[in-house]
Amino acid sequence: MRRSPPNLLRPLLLLAMHVIVLPTLVVAETPDLVHDVLPLVRLKCVKCHGPGKSEGGLNLSTPAWLANGGDSGAAVQGGKPNESLLWQRVAADEMPPDAPLKAEERELLATWIKAGAPGLPAEGSAHPSGDHWAFVPLKAPQAPQAQAAHRVRNDVERFVLAELERNGLGYRPEADRATLIRRVAFDLTGLPPTPEQIAAYQNDTSADAYERMVDRYLSSPRYGERWGKYWLDAAGYADSNGYFNADSDRPLAYRYRDYVVRAFNADKPFDRFVIEQLAGDELAGFKPGEATTSEVISLLEATHYLRNGQDGTGESDGNDNERTIDRYSALDSCLQIVSSSLLGLTVQCAKCHDHKFEPLSQRDYYQWQSVFYPAFNVKDWKKPNERVVQATLPGELETWKAHEAEVDDKVAKLREEFAAWAKENQPRGAVLFRDEFAAGGPPLADAWSHTAPGDDQPAGQPAINLDSETRPATIARDGNLFVLESGDPGDRVMSTRQTFNWTPQAEGAWIQVTFDLVDVKVGDGKVSERIAYFLAVRDYNDTREGETGNVLLEGKPEGGGVGLYLDYPGNDHKDDGTLGEAVYRGGHNYGVRITRVADGKCRLDHLYDGVPDRKSAVLDQAALGSGGFGFGLCCGRSFIVDNVVIRESETGDLAADAQLQAETSRRREELEASIKQLDGERKPEPGRIAWMTDRSANAPEVHLLERGSHSSPGETVEPAPLAALSDPNAEWQIAKPESGAETTGRRLAWARWVTDADARPAALMARVQVNRMWQQHFGAGIVATCENLGVSGAAPSHPELLEYLAAEFVRSGWSIKHMHRVMLNSAAYRQASTYDAGASKIDPDNRLLWRWTVRRLDAEAVRDAILATAGQLDESMGGPYVPTSRDGLGEAVVTEGAAGTNRRSLYLQQRRTQTLSLLGLFDSPSLVVNCVQRPISTIPLQSLSLLNSPFLREQSRHFAARLANEAGEDPAKRIDRSYLLAYGREPLPAEHAAASGFLDTQRETYGDDEKGDQLAWTDYCQMLLASSGFLYVE
Amino acid sequence: MSHELNRQITTELTRRSFLGRYAGSLGGLALAHLLANQQSASAATTDLQPGATHFTPKAKNVICLFQHGGPSQMDLFDPKPMLEKFHGKPYPSGELEIHFTNQAGNVLGSPFKFAPAGQCGMQLSEVLPYTARIADDITLIRSMNTESVDHEAALRLIHSGKIFAGLPTWGSWVTYALGSENQNLPAYVVLGDPGGLPIDGTRNWSAGWLPAIFQGTPFGSGKSPVVNLQPPEGSSPAARRNQLAFLEQLNRAHLSRHPGNSELAARLANFETAARMQTSVPEVLDISGEPAETKELYGLNEDATREYGTRCLIARRLIERGVRFVQLFLSSQPWDTHSKNAESLKGLCAKTDRPSAALVEDLKRRGLLDDTIVMWTGEFGRLPISQGSDGRDHNRRGFSTWLAGGGFKRGYVHGATDDFGYEAVEKVVTVHDLHATLLAALGLDHHRLAYPHDGRPTSLTDAEVTGAKVVPELLA
Repeated sequence: MRRSPPNLLRPLLLLAMHVIVLPTLVVAETPDLVHDVLPLVRLKCVKCHGPGKSEGGLNLSTPAWLANGGDSGAAVQGGKPNESLLWQRVAADEMPPDAPLKAEERELLATWIKAGAPGLPAEGSAHPSGDHWAFVPLKAPQAPQAQAAHRVRNDVERFVLAELERNGLGYRPEADRATLIRRVAFDLTGLPPTPEQIAAYQNDTSADAYERMVDRYLSSPRYGERWGKYWLDAAGYADSNGYFNADSDRPLAYRYRDYVVRAFNADKPFDRFVIEQLAGDELAGFKPGEATTSEVISLLEATHYLRNGQDGTGESDGNDNERTIDRYSALDSCLQIVSSSLLGLTVQCAKCHDHKFEPLSQRDYYQWQSVFYPAFNVKDWKKPNERVVQATLPGELETWKAHEAEVDDKVAKLREEFAAWAKENQPRGAVLFRDEFAAGGPPLADAWSHTAPGDDQPAGQPAINLDSETRPATIARDGNLFVLESGDPGDRVMSTRQTFNWTPQAEGAWIQVTFDLVDVKVGDGKVSERIAYFLAVRDYNDTREGETGNVLLEGKPEGGGVGLYLDYPGNDHKDDGTLGEAVYRGGHNYGVRITRVADGKCRLDHLYDGVPDRKSAVLDQAALGSGGFGFGLCCGRSFIVDNVVIRESETGDLAADAQLQAETSRRREELEASIKQLDGERKPEPGRIAWMTDRSANAPEVHLLERGSHSSPGETVEPAPLAALSDPNAEWQIAKPESGAETTGRRLAWARWVTDADARPAALMARVQVNRMWQQHFGAGIVATCENLGVSGAAPSHPELLEYLAAEFVRSGWSIKHMHRVMLNSAAYRQASTYDAGASKIDPDNRLLWRWTVRRLDAEAVRDAILATAGQLDESMGGPYVPTSRDGLGEAVVTEGAAGTNRRSLYLQQRRTQTLSLLGLFDSPSLVVNCVQRPISTIPLQSLSLLNSPFLREQSRHFAARLANEAGEDPAKRIDRSYLLAYGREPLPAEHAAASGFLDTQRETYGDDEKGDQLAWTDYCQMLLASSGFLYVE
Repeated sequence: MSHELNRQITTELTRRSFLGRYAGSLGGLALAHLLANQQSASAATTDLQPGATHFTPKAKNVICLFQHGGPSQMDLFDPKPMLEKFHGKPYPSGELEIHFTNQAGNVLGSPFKFAPAGQCGMQLSEVLPYTARIADDITLIRSMNTESVDHEAALRLIHSGKIFAGLPTWGSWVTYALGSENQNLPAYVVLGDPGGLPIDGTRNWSAGWLPAIFQGTPFGSGKSPVVNLQPPEGSSPAARRNQLAFLEQLNRAHLSRHPGNSELAARLANFETAARMQTSVPEVLDISGEPAETKELYGLNEDATREYGTRCLIARRLIERGVRFVQLFLSSQPWDTHSKNAESLKGLCAKTDRPSAALVEDLKRRGLLDDTIVMWTGEFGRLPISQGSDGRDHNRRGFSTWLAGGGFKRGYVHGATDDFGYEAVEKVVTVHDLHATLLAALGLDHHRLAYPHDGRPTSLTDAEVTGAKVVPELLA
C-alpha cells in the first residue's frame, strides 16, 4: 500500500480536459508509479502496448503488466535506465513512434527508473486483469490509528484522519446537533427533519443519542425511498420505453420500483438483492396460472432490472434489418446496465472490438452477452408489453374479479338507462325502406342492384354478384346480409334500386339510415378494415361532370369513428374528416341521420344504437341530393349486416331538434361523469408483472458479431466468466435451475459467480457499491469516477479506506444499513462544514475531508423538501406512478387533478422524454442508460422557477398557512417556527429581526390590500424556500 | 485513457462546471476574463504553454434552420433528368435500401422544373424562388449521407453525433466551448414551432451529460416566452424588489459562512440574472420596432410566411444581441412526404423559402453574415422511387444541405449523388464530417472539444470511431 500523500497535494496542475496534458514536472520527490509514471505511459504507449493491442507482447497499463515486460524481456531495470528497454526506446526517440516524449516527460521516466523504479512489483502477473487494483481479491488493510485519539469514533478514522494528519491537517470540530440531524435526515431519507424529530434528538441526553438518531432514520420507510432511488438510477429505471419518439409507457415498471424500495427498507443483503434481480425467475420456478407467495412475486418483480434499458421494439417499423438492430440495442443496454451498476465497468466499446484500455476482449463481451441472450433472443423476440406474467396470492384474483364485475354492472346499468331514454326519445318518422333479409324472402335483386340508381354501368369492376357464391358477392343468408369481397382491388357498391332524397326540404326535417352490424368479419376471415356504406349514390363511376352525391361513410372496427368522403370515388373526391366516435363491432346498430339546419346546410349525425354519437358534421345541401343507399365492397372488407331501415321525419321542427340535442348531451355528460367516478373505483388487475425470463430452457446459439454488426456473425460463443475477473475461488456452474424454472440457468450461474464472497468479481462489486455510498454521504467517491473502476478509471484518493469499507461490506453479510452506520457514525462525517483558511489553502477541494462538504439538495430532495416544509407531502407509498404531462408552455408538470400530486418525486412518472421540469432544472437526468453520478448545475432558470413558478407560490402559501396554524398569531413565534421547518434550527436574533423587518416592509408595500398580511407571509415563506440555507445541507 | 487523464478530467470537471455556473451567473462582469478562460479551455494547444494558439475562428454564431422529416433532395436541390426518363418504370439501377418495403413503387420523376440561379448558376427547383436569390451566398452540399433511415436515430445523429438518445446536442457543444456574449439571455435559444414539438421532442436540444446550462432554452410566444419568466399575477414590482433584497440578505449571510464557495456565489448572482431576463427576453422578442421593409422582406405580411418569418427575424435579433446558437424547429416532421410528396413540398416551401432566404439577406446587409453560420438541413433525404402512388420514402444515402456565411464558400455546389439522386457518390460528406467542419469554422478542433463522461472523454464527432474529418473545400 502506498504511503506517500495523495497526489492531489502535489503542485497543482493547470489542466484542461480537452487536451491531454502532462504535469509540468517541478516535483522534487521521486515520481510515483501509480500517479505519475503509469498515467504517462498509458497516455503515450497504451494504444499499442495495452490490453487491446500488446505489440511485442508488452502491456504497460498496470504495475503488474509493466513488471511482466514484453517478448524482448523486462521493460524496466530498477536503478538502471540505460539497461531498461523502455527507456532505451524512449531515449532513442523510437517510441512513441509518432510523437516523441517531451523533455520533462522523459525526465520523469528517467528519474523514476533511476530511483529504483519504486512501486514496481518484483513479480509480474499472469492474470488477465493485470492485477489492476480494483480487480484483485479483497484484503482487509491494516492501518494504525490516528493520533488525535479524542476524534476517533470508528475505523474510518484510521484512514481519513490519519491521512489528514500526514498532511498536517485534522478534522473540523463536530457539527452541532441541529446541523447533524438535518444532514442525516436528508442523507438517509431525502427529507428535512420534522420539529418532533429535532426535539427528540436535542433532548436525548444519552451518550449514543446521535447513533440512535441515525438508527431512527434508517428504520424509517422514507429511507428506502431515498436509497432505493439511487439504486433505481444506477439500474436505469424509467416508466417508459424510450428509444423512439413515442417513448411508450411501461405501466408495470412501478412494481420493480416498489420491490427496490422494500429491499432497501428491509436491508436485504446486497448479494441476495443482486441474485434476485439477475435471476429471480430462475430462483422462483413460477408456473403461470398457479397462486403463489409474496416471496415468489418479489422474485419475479426483481427481474425487471434486466429490462430497464431503452427498448423500442414495441414500435419498430421499417425493414427486418432495422428491427434486428432495435432488438440488439435492448439486449446491449441490459448488458451495459449490469456492468455499470454492479461492476463499475464500461463495456460497450468491446461490442465492436477488443477494449483498448480495459482488459476486456470482444469475445468477453459476447460470452457475457450469451448469459442474457436466452432472455433477449433476437430470433424469438417478445416485445416489452408481451413480457408479462401473472402471479397472484391465493384469492387475490377472485376478489379483484368480483369487484370489477360489480363496477361493470353499475356501469352497464347506467349505460342501459341512458340508451333506453335515448331510444325512447328519438324522433320516429316514417319508414321509406326496410329490408330484413328474411330467410325465404325475395331475391336480393328485387330491391338491390350492382349499379347505382339511374346509372347504366355496374358500380365498380368486377361487378358484385347478388345472391351468388362468386365473389365479389352479397348474399342474403341465415336472415342476414353477407357482404363478401373478392380481394380484387378497387371499390364497388351494392345499392338500393330505390332513390331517396337525402336533402330534407324543411328546416328541422331529417332522413336517416340504420342497419344492424351482425359481425365485422365473416367466419374465420379477417376483421374488416372498414365498414363502408354510401348515401345518395347515383353516379358511382363518377362519369358525369360536376355531379356530387356519392357520400362514403367508413366505420372503423379499430379505433372507432366514421371517415366521411364526398363525391367518392374519383380523383375529385374530398376527405371531409370524421364523424362520431363509436367503434364498429358486431351486435350494435349503426347509421347516419341528416337533419336540415339553417342556411341551406345539413347536419350529419352518426347514429350508434339509434342515438347521435357525439361528433357531427355539417355539409352544404348540394353535397347530398338524391340517390340510393348502398354498401361498399373493397379490399379486405367482408362483414355481415341486417335490418337496413330508412326513415324520414313527418315534419320539420328545428326547436325540437335543438332541444333533443341539448338534452342528449346533458344526459351524456352526466353519464360520463358517473362512469368516470365508477372507473376510479377500479383497481388494476392484480398480479400482472413485467418480468424477464428465458424464452426457452434450451440455449440458442450466440455469435460474436464482427464489428458489432448483426449482419456479420462470427464464431459461436458460450457463457464464461469475464477473463479479467476469473478466479478459481468463484463458483461457475451452469445447471438447470433447482426451482424447475424453464430457463437455461445461465443468469443464475452468473449471479452466483458475481456474488461469491471471497473472489475477484465480488471484490470489485463491493468496491463499486461502497464507493457510490461514500459519494452520496461525502459528496465525492473515494474513486472520483464512480462509473468506472476499471484500469482507465481514476485512482482512489484513499485506497485503503476503500478496501476497508468493501471488506467490511462483505464481512457484514452485505448489509447496506451496516455500511451507513460505519460511514455516518464516523467522526469524519460528523465534523462541521465550516471554513478553515489554513486547511483550505492546502486542500481547497477538500479531497482529504478536513471538513464536511456543503452540498445542494438533489432534484428530488428539493421538491420533496418543499412539499414537506409546506406540510403538503403525501407520504403514501408504492403503486402505479402519478402521471405527468406537458402543459401549454411545454413544461412537464404533474398532471393536474391526478391523484397523489403531492407524493414524493420517486412516485412521479419517470418518462424519459418528460422529466418533470422542476426536477430537470435541478439536474435530475433523463435516463439514457443509467446514472450513478449527477452534475450539479446552478443556472438562472432555477432562480426563475424559485421566484415565479406556480408550484413554489402555491407551496409558499401552504407554508404560510401552516405557520399560522402551528404557531398562532404571534409573528415572533411564526418566525421561530419557519426557521425550524425550513432550516431545522432557531433563528439568530439578527435573523429574527431581518425577518420581522421584511414582513413589515411587505405589509406596507401591499398597503390597503386586505390580503396584504397573508401576501407578506407568503412572500417570506417563498424566500426561505428559495434561499441557499434551505437548498443546501451543511 | 489513463488515471492521469481521468484525474485531469475530474479536476477539470470541477473547474469547468464552475465556469459553467460562473458563465450563467455573473452578468457582463468579467466577461473578458471568462472568455479568455473558455478559449484556453476549448481551443488550447496540447501543451497549454502560455500564448498557446488555437485556430482563428471564421464564425462566432450559428443559426440552424432545422427541417424535420427529410426534405426531398431531387425535388428541391438536386435535379435528376433520369428520374423523368424512367418515371413510372421500375427502378433500373440496382437495389435500393427501402424503409417501408411493402409500399415501394416505380421511379418517381420530379414535377418541378429546375433553373440556374445567381451568378454561380446553381440549379434550384422552381419551388425555391427565394433561395434562388441567395444562391450566390450559399454552399449547397448535394452529397450528404447519414447512418439511419429511422427519423429518431437520424435526428440524434445530426444533432448529437450518435444514433443513440441522450447525448449532448451540437448546440450544447458549441455553447459549452464558446459560452455567450450576452449574460442576460440564454446562450442557446430554441425557437420552437407554435404548432408543437418536433419529433424526438426536447432531445433535439438536450445538453445530454454536459451541464444543464448548455441546454437549449425554448422561447415560446405569448406573455411568458420563457417558462416562469414573469412574476405571478398580481405581484407588484415593489414587492418583488423587497423579496429580492431579503433573499439576497439571507443568501449573503449563508455565503459568509462558506467563503470562497463559488457555487453559492453563483446562486446569489443568478437571482439578479433572472430578474434581468424578465426585461431582456421580452425586448428581444418584440419586433414591433422593426422597419416595415424588414417585415416585408421576411414575409410578415403574408399568411403563409408570417409565423416562420417572425421566428427567422427573432433569430437575427438574438444573434445581434450576442446569443451564440439559435435553432428553429418545425412541428412534428412536415418534410416526411410519404404521400402527396409534390403537393406537400409546395406548401412547405411556401412557408419556409422566403423567410429562410430573407434571414441570409438581412444578416448579410447588416454585416452579420460573415460571423454567423446559417444552416438549412433535414436529417436525411428521400428515395428516387415512389412510395404508394405519390410519396417518397426515407433515404439515408443521399441528401442536400445548404450553409451560408460564417466562412462557408459562397455560390458553391459541393459533391453529387448518382444519376437518380439516390446515393452520394462524389465528395461524400458524412454528418460527422459536417460536424467537424462546422466546429472548425467556429475555431474549434473537433478532436479536442471533449467532456468526460462514463469514465472517458466524449466528443461530438468521436472521430476515432466515426472517422469524422474537416472538409476544407467547404470553407472559403
